[in-house]
Amino acid sequence: MDFFKLKSEFACGKRQMTELQVQQTTAHWPNVQEMMPFWLEKAIAWGQTDTPDTRKDISLHLKRLRDFFQELLTEISSVSSTTETLNRLPLLGQLLGRLCWNPHVTAEGASRGLLLQCLLALYSEHPSNAVEGKANQWIQKVLCQLATDEEDGAAVALMKHLAVPTKEYHLKVLKKMVTRIQESIGNSRCSVSSTNKGCSCSSVWAASEACVPLITCPEASPLIGALLQQQMTCIREGLSENFLDALHSAYSRCDLLLDEQAVVSLWYQSLPSLEEAVLNLLVSATAAGSTPSKVEEQVSKSLLPKACAQHCSVFLVVNDIFRTVLKQTERNERVKNVFQAFTKCFFMELSRLQPQPSASLKAFFPQSPPSLLIPLFTMPSEMPQESLKNHLMWVSSSLQRLTEEDEDEEDSDSSNIRGNHKVFEAWFLLVQCAYWVQVAVQLLVTSGPENCGPLLWLLTFYHHPTNRWHHRASQLVQAKAAWDHLYSLFSIVARPLSADHLQSFISLLAPKPQQPSLAPSLTLNLLVNFATFGQLPQSTSAEITQKVVHQSGLQDEAARVLSLLRLRLNDRGSFASDRVHLRIEELHNTIKKTQM
Amino acid sequence: MEAVLKNLGRTVELLAVAAHSGVVNEWDEQTVTRAFHWARYCEHIYSRFHGNPVIRGVLEKQLQLTNHSLKEALPEYNAVSFLDLGRCQDLLLLWLLNNSALPISIMKMLFETKASADSTSSNYEDVRGLCSQIIQCKSACTVLRPLLDVPSVGADAEVQGEMLMEGLGTALSQSSDPRRAEDFLSSVLQEFEVAAEHLCPVIAAALLTTTDSAAQTAAQDFLLDWLQSRRGALQHVCTALPSKVLADLAKRHQKFRDAFCKLLKRWASEMEYRLTEGEWVHAATSSAVSLQKMTEHYLTLFEACPSLRTEIEDELKAQRIADGDYDVRGLSVWGDILLALRK
Repeated sequence: MDFFKLKSEFACGKRQMTELQVQQTTAHWPNVQEMMPFWLEKAIAWGQTDTPDTRKDISLHLKRLRDFFQELLTEISSVSSTTETLNRLPLLGQLLGRLCWNPHVTAEGASRGLLLQCLLALYSEHPSNAVEGKANQWIQKVLCQLATDEEDGAAVALMKHLAVPTKEYHLKVLKKMVTRIQESIGNSRCSVSSTNKGCSCSSVWAASEACVPLITCPEASPLIGALLQQQMTCIREGLSENFLDALHSAYSRCDLLLDEQAVVSLWYQSLPSLEEAVLNLLVSATAAGSTPSKVEEQVSKSLLPKACAQHCSVFLVVNDIFRTVLKQTERNERVKNVFQAFTKCFFMELSRLQPQPSASLKAFFPQSPPSLLIPLFTMPSEMPQESLKNHLMWVSSSLQRLTEEDEDEEDSDSSNIRGNHKVFEAWFLLVQCAYWVQVAVQLLVTSGPENCGPLLWLLTFYHHPTNRWHHRASQLVQAKAAWDHLYSLFSIVARPLSADHLQSFISLLAPKPQQPSLAPSLTLNLLVNFATFGQLPQSTSAEITQKVVHQSGLQDEAARVLSLLRLRLNDRGSFASDRVHLRIEELHNTIKKTQM
Repeated sequence: MEAVLKNLGRTVELLAVAAHSGVVNEWDEQTVTRAFHWARYCEHIYSRFHGNPVIRGVLEKQLQLTNHSLKEALPEYNAVSFLDLGRCQDLLLLWLLNNSALPISIMKMLFETKASADSTSSNYEDVRGLCSQIIQCKSACTVLRPLLDVPSVGADAEVQGEMLMEGLGTALSQSSDPRRAEDFLSSVLQEFEVAAEHLCPVIAAALLTTTDSAAQTAAQDFLLDWLQSRRGALQHVCTALPSKVLADLAKRHQKFRDAFCKLLKRWASEMEYRLTEGEWVHAATSSAVSLQKMTEHYLTLFEACPSLRTEIEDELKAQRIADGDYDVRGLSVWGDILLALRK
């Protein structure tokens, strides 16, 4: 799964791509010397007035300034002496001197760090001439003033008489400011009626703009969180673009300290951040070595399901990303498994928020066939066991009808892609609710040959949804053949174990040169379920499983499929007996041995 | 006690070295950390004993001795006062940074900046990155300051007010003699003489801090009494602060409410009507209060303490009647105030 390529399709990736492209296509990337006058002019302008426009300009340029500092630092470090540096960059002292006193530049961690490093890099340990000696003096003086100067005489007096350290005092003031600003933001309500008074939401915008340099400041994080969660009732003002951009950058670097609700609000308001979060989840959940239980763990730890339950728009974006990913990775069972785990988690969160979650499903799944929504989102554990079969029969026949309609249309009008879309959406929904497919497989073992038709169809549809591209009809035939084999292998009548019989089953799993082969996980899923729920003694089931898995070379897939079964049966609400659990343990050990 | 005195002496000597000696050039991170450790020790001594006059006396004597010998050895040495001990680390930092022999490695260490948000600035023990954190705090405050609502005392004054209250509370609890607390207030607030406009918000903030204990209430009471006892102090405060703050103070403290109302009345009685301008003007130029401002004060006061309205209006009416009860502008300041309030 090439996630980098995938990322380029989304906003978060597009921005990175554009930046890279700009850097690569610019014929002449200006060097440090050429950029000095520009930045000096900026520094002078910024130092002259402190207006909202100035602050906006600073926020806009902060990232570029950081990059410039980095280049500057590299340049200074590459030159052997300060004299040489000052010869090359005569405006450097002025620039650094001015920017040192600009609080918007020094409040932000990265830019402060780079600025200080540039200053310190200019210090000569053994000054060789008057210029370097003077530079040293100046640098030390600036640093001393930055750290120890106090503007507020009252503060100095009080600190002295009350023995309060400087750092503690300023921290106290900062925390007090954060509290007061949070309060004033919390109290601001947009009253459309009072047009003469002016909207107080501009204070929210102003606060967000001012907070751009403070995004990674730990003391400011309650304020950042409050800004993100501020109810946006005003159409005119919102959070500043620079603020959301800076948040996204910090979020990408994992440099953000926000509580849960603030992160949810960030995703709600910053599309690139949301996309990045979803892609990161997919990458980590499908990483090499991830098992179904690890996937479930990662999904349940993620805040995304909760965010989706709280905001329909967030869910639609996430679902769209899943849709895009699925279209590119149809056969990837790991990815499909993530979708299933996510949907289950999401529905659980939704149920926590709403007493009747099924009522709002249509809003969350506008493109899916409405009649399938409630049936698929009813959890198997919520139904009495006897009803499961009929339920699945209904689901299967609904889907069959849908595909038949679509295929009829296809025949009559080959350019009709709309129908295909309906089948895809139905299939996508089934993939997300794949727990029903798992129940179908179990029933295929326990219910006998008379009912297996629709259930097999459902299972085949899950792996091979269309006729045109996936040859569902012929796969169904193969699936039936596999089921027949397994049925006879695992029935008590067939004794002793016929080697030929076993061999012909194994050959079903081998890839065939001429025809499209049945998805191995389909067959393995059937095998594993037969071994667990079948009537044969434990040891024989294990033996059959071992032979099949070993000879077909599909150990990893078999292990994965068994993990999924085990997870499902460990779920609260499943009716698995101790016997079943024991059998699964044994099978797990058997397959593990084949993996070594 | 001997050990304490010895350590105190040594640390002050250390400070002198940090300030003036070229030896600093050989200091490494460990040395600096240890120096700050000793400075912290002195701060601890100060906070433990500054309220104990006997031990304080002993410590001050030792300090005198050390200062004297250091002054003989280093003419440029500045004496360290007992009060300075309370902020020993800051002093150390200041003197180190002013010492031209300070090696670049130490500067780099002090100004190190961790770019990630992981830096826990609540760890006072850390010397590494100390200066960068101070700069961050100060800059963050400057950035946020313009966002705060104007009709309030401001976050700086609030924090300073809290500090004042804490100090006052400690001074009051340490001895039953009120002169101690008075000395404390005088010594702190005299520094404000130069920055008089900063004084008023701090006092207001101090009086508005939430009091959780009887000691805190007593401290506020003490401050109020002090305010009223100082000539012109109350007047100064009421001239400098916005109506909203004064109203909040009145709401909070009965004493202040009474004094404020009395002051307003006095101001009104001192007003003269200037025919040429058609305005009431305050006779004394020291505190120029306009009728408009007074009206605003009254209105905001009524918002905070609605029960006052009838009381004040009755008083004003009574005064207007005493003035002849004319319904014409310019004849009775009380009548004109009433008119302005009714609008």
